[in-house]
Amino acid sequence: MTVLRAVLKSRSGAVGLVLVGLLVLSALVSLVWTPYDPTLARPQDGWLLPFSGGHVLGTDRLGRDELSQLLAGARGTLLTALLAAAIAAVVGLTLALAAVLVPRWIGAVVVQLTDVLIAFPVLLIAMILTAVYGGSTWTVVTAVGVGAGVNLARVARAEAGRVLNTDYVLAAHAAGSGTWRTVRKHLLPNIAPTLVVQLSLVLSVAVLAEAALSFLGFGAPAPAISWGRMLHEQQQYIAARPLLVIWPGLAVAASVLGFNLLGDGLREAADARLRVREAADAGLRVREAS
Amino acid sequence: MTLYVLRRAALLVVSLLAASVLVFLVLRLLPGDIAQTIGGIKATPAQVAAVRHDLGLDRPLAAQYADWIGGVVTGDFGRSVLDGTSVSGQLAEKFAVTGPLAAGAVVLALAFAVPLGIVAAVRRESRLGGLVNAVGQFGIALPTLWVGLLLVLVFAVQVRWLPAQGFPVDGWAEPGQALRSLVLPWLTLALSEGAVLLRFVRSAVLDVLHQDWLRTARAKGHTRTGALVRHGLRNAAVPVVAVLGLQIAALVAGAVVVEQVFVLPGVGQMLITDVGNRDLDKVQGEILLLTGAVLVIGFLVDLAHRLIDPRLRSAV
Amino acid sequence: MRRTTALRLAATAVLTGLAATACGTGSTDDPANAGQTSQAAQPAAIDTGATVDVRLVLEPTSLDIASTAGAALDQILLDNVYQGLLTRDENNKIEPSLATSYETSPDGLTYTFHLAENATFHDGTKLTAADAVWSLQQVTAKGSKNPDAAALASVKSASAADDHTVVVTLKHRDTGFTWGLTGRAGIVFKKGTDFASLAGKENGTGPFKLSGWKRGSSLTFVRNDAYWGKKAKVAKVVFHYIKDDNAANNAQQTGQTDIETAADATLLQPFSDKSKYTVLRGDTTDKFTLAFNNASGPTKDVRVRRAIRRAIDNAGLIKALGGAAKPVGGPVPATDPGYEDLTAIDAHDPAAAKKLLQQAGYGDGLKLTVQIPNIYPTEIGDYLASELKQVGIQLTVRQVEFQTWLDAVYTKHDYQLSLVDHAEARDLYNFANPAYYFAYDNAKVQKWYAAAQTATGDAERDALLKKAAQQVSQDAAADWLFVSQTLTVVRSGVTGVPRNFTSNRYDLADLAVAKKK
Repeated sequence: MTVLRAVLKSRSGAVGLVLVGLLVLSALVSLVWTPYDPTLARPQDGWLLPFSGGHVLGTDRLGRDELSQLLAGARGTLLTALLAAAIAAVVGLTLALAAVLVPRWIGAVVVQLTDVLIAFPVLLIAMILTAVYGGSTWTVVTAVGVGAGVNLARVARAEAGRVLNTDYVLAAHAAGSGTWRTVRKHLLPNIAPTLVVQLSLVLSVAVLAEAALSFLGFGAPAPAISWGRMLHEQQQYIAARPLLVIWPGLAVAASVLGFNLLGDGLREAADARLRVREAADAGLRVREAS
Repeated sequence: MTLYVLRRAALLVVSLLAASVLVFLVLRLLPGDIAQTIGGIKATPAQVAAVRHDLGLDRPLAAQYADWIGGVVTGDFGRSVLDGTSVSGQLAEKFAVTGPLAAGAVVLALAFAVPLGIVAAVRRESRLGGLVNAVGQFGIALPTLWVGLLLVLVFAVQVRWLPAQGFPVDGWAEPGQALRSLVLPWLTLALSEGAVLLRFVRSAVLDVLHQDWLRTARAKGHTRTGALVRHGLRNAAVPVVAVLGLQIAALVAGAVVVEQVFVLPGVGQMLITDVGNRDLDKVQGEILLLTGAVLVIGFLVDLAHRLIDPRLRSAV
Repeated sequence: MRRTTALRLAATAVLTGLAATACGTGSTDDPANAGQTSQAAQPAAIDTGATVDVRLVLEPTSLDIASTAGAALDQILLDNVYQGLLTRDENNKIEPSLATSYETSPDGLTYTFHLAENATFHDGTKLTAADAVWSLQQVTAKGSKNPDAAALASVKSASAADDHTVVVTLKHRDTGFTWGLTGRAGIVFKKGTDFASLAGKENGTGPFKLSGWKRGSSLTFVRNDAYWGKKAKVAKVVFHYIKDDNAANNAQQTGQTDIETAADATLLQPFSDKSKYTVLRGDTTDKFTLAFNNASGPTKDVRVRRAIRRAIDNAGLIKALGGAAKPVGGPVPATDPGYEDLTAIDAHDPAAAKKLLQQAGYGDGLKLTVQIPNIYPTEIGDYLASELKQVGIQLTVRQVEFQTWLDAVYTKHDYQLSLVDHAEARDLYNFANPAYYFAYDNAKVQKWYAAAQTATGDAERDALLKKAAQQVSQDAAADWLFVSQTLTVVRSGVTGVPRNFTSNRYDLADLAVAKKK
């Protein structure tokens, strides 16, 4: 609760929370109600303009209701973002802990392997997964999660290294605290704030990456709905029906903005002195465009 | 310093080898192969098997890898099985599009990210600083491909100032046309890259502004801006350079999307086509060169980092 | 916070303003220029130095037309660069090419071809019967890697009677033999050509020569000024490979291309000014085929297959795609021999579909997966899922790379439903071959198809093909969603543009540009 209050105190945190709240709300509402079945194709109602035939935002070429798709798309987008963040957390934390806790030479190998993976294009991972398993939410989530995870590993490693070298951890160790006890009692609680901030950024990266991958044809196919997929399908007709492209684009932008601002709010809350962690930022922002 | 460089270089070589194994194995997971591409949907299974044998695709993986890496060590990154073109030649041809695309976007991004980032930091409490920061936040949030589509709709289709897509057939032999083809892609890519950089410049400058020595400099009679220009920017440049190095990988990925939107014949488009055709001999060469480039740039950035950061210079 | 909101509002205002100006410019109903089947007569004054820029969709993977499959190679290389003994006209009628005439023996087993006496290869050498015989032998030889080898499977031997006469004998009568020669199996290469060397270049006999290939973007032909026949009317043709329909439309609107093939039917509004553009509507043999695994899984049951056919409203799909397609109801398109309208068989009837499913034991619902290569519009998969949902079938769409499709569906037959465009003309044989991925095995169909192949006349052949096609449709061996039509947008002043079957071959012989006044 104190975290929540601290987040709300910062302007960006509050705006971020509202935007993310809207995203979550849309996703939840779409579970029980949408104006129309978002997947129902009725070609005779294709390309209706907004506010005609009971369709507030109009319909696409197959006659599917745009508003219903946007609401249902929030579900797909949120799911993608959360799953990707979960995978990133597991991958990142495992690699980071492996790097700092094992004997030095193995640690060096892990560090080097992480760097190789960071240099490996996420897009390629996505393409290969898509080729092997077919495009699905899982392929997108895995590619983005692993891509963000290796970057997270770099950040978490630096942070873990810092914490392990602090006097009190060294003292605890000297006093006979076992490795796992140190990890549980000292390491994890101390790197948690950084990780949380980073994970909020992973969420925004995942939303953008889902849009980009779906656009390139590596996204989840029917009956799944996501904003990236809507962009992919509608971009062909942007000259004839630009609004059908503009809405999902704005929805993506609002969610990404929400996650980013929330991340800023969390950071400000976690670090009142506004100490800037350039390394922390560097790791994750880079994946933006992929 | 020398010891550091040597150690770092050794690590680089190990990384490159690891990358080559990784690339080779991961690509072998792909279903289907080039023999099937050549045979299409009319060739009989026997015909496809014969092609597979001719190409040596039925040999053990270790032998295929040894063959490939042997060539790489001598500078031969392989050839396309389909049309016989060399990987390095094709990459050079495509890089004539992707290189200027990425480089121009970085220059453009820096051109507005650095001044705006400094403004956003120095005038943090003011309306202007807040506005610049908000623009940066918004820029990061916009999907690159969506921005590209809208730019085409407005500037190419509606007002017709610039070409909608493609690159001149004769490439840079028509410099005017080539430049015009890249304007919208540059803007698209620079917007997202610039917004990211803006945030880094801002935080780096903010960090510097909070340092004790800057307060000392001001106490000595420098104005805030004067102190920042004299002492601060060099320090603020350290993290920004580090980020720029990391951004290279992101730029390549961003370029892939932008190339698709603007139908530019660049590296990304080639990669997608080659994976689609299962021209793995070519793909593995391309990926290794790209991954290698990112690793080498990372190596160089590390060195540059040491040179401009006085605190790191003496450390081993 | 107030500032951020204001900013967002401003941005939205700009975007929606833009939207408002462009809104309503692309109505689906009654497009102003929906496509015509005739084009302007060729003007008297032709600019023989003209360059024509053409949008095509799929780029060839290689130019080795003797060993690499793909319609993209046939499309540009046949007729223009390489020529066969025979060719096809705009309506798929068989016409002479390098063979100016031929005779058939009364028993139908011996064909005598008379070659053009002045034909030359691009390298300047004269074409002789020895080249033609050698080329045919490469295709028919044991272990031939020509993907089209099956087209000449009935050939027993080929020999040169003199420098300009080729005699081919067949193992049995073959009504498809001359058709086979019009495709890539009939191409005459220079004797002794190493096919591997053709991957990036060519040595043909046609009116155009390859002058450059920028992989991933464009391919350029120049006129062969030493051509042995009627020379081409334009100096240069540049093919631009643009997959995205929106990008292609933009290119045509802004004058980057003169001809846009395969235009999207719903996006024709910018081309409604008939003084600036002609829109040609042409036929294709592109059968979008929803294949059922006839050998295993739920679709082994004919009732399930029929239920799926009855559940899908093909007319609705055609409407959604802009109307540039025709329903077909069977495996033979209107431009192929053996066609008849079979749309009445298992026509759209969701109630009947539900009943069939119930009889098959799937009254409580059925889960199926369809594999669709990602080169087709994703909306087709969306539509199928929506239609099948209404009769209780939950369809999952697996969008796969074409290579993955080849591996899983085509080679391993590991699928339930699959959707691809079978673009080949006269390909009913796939339903007479139980080893094909359809795994459709009906002895009667196989017997009729074989009899059609060895029939003594076209009428007898067509009657047999019709019987076979009808049986295939009644057994619901697949669902033929539609046969596409193809739209070509042409800038005014450009004439002689191919209209039909443009994705299979693109004959540039008549292409011309009017002189600017």
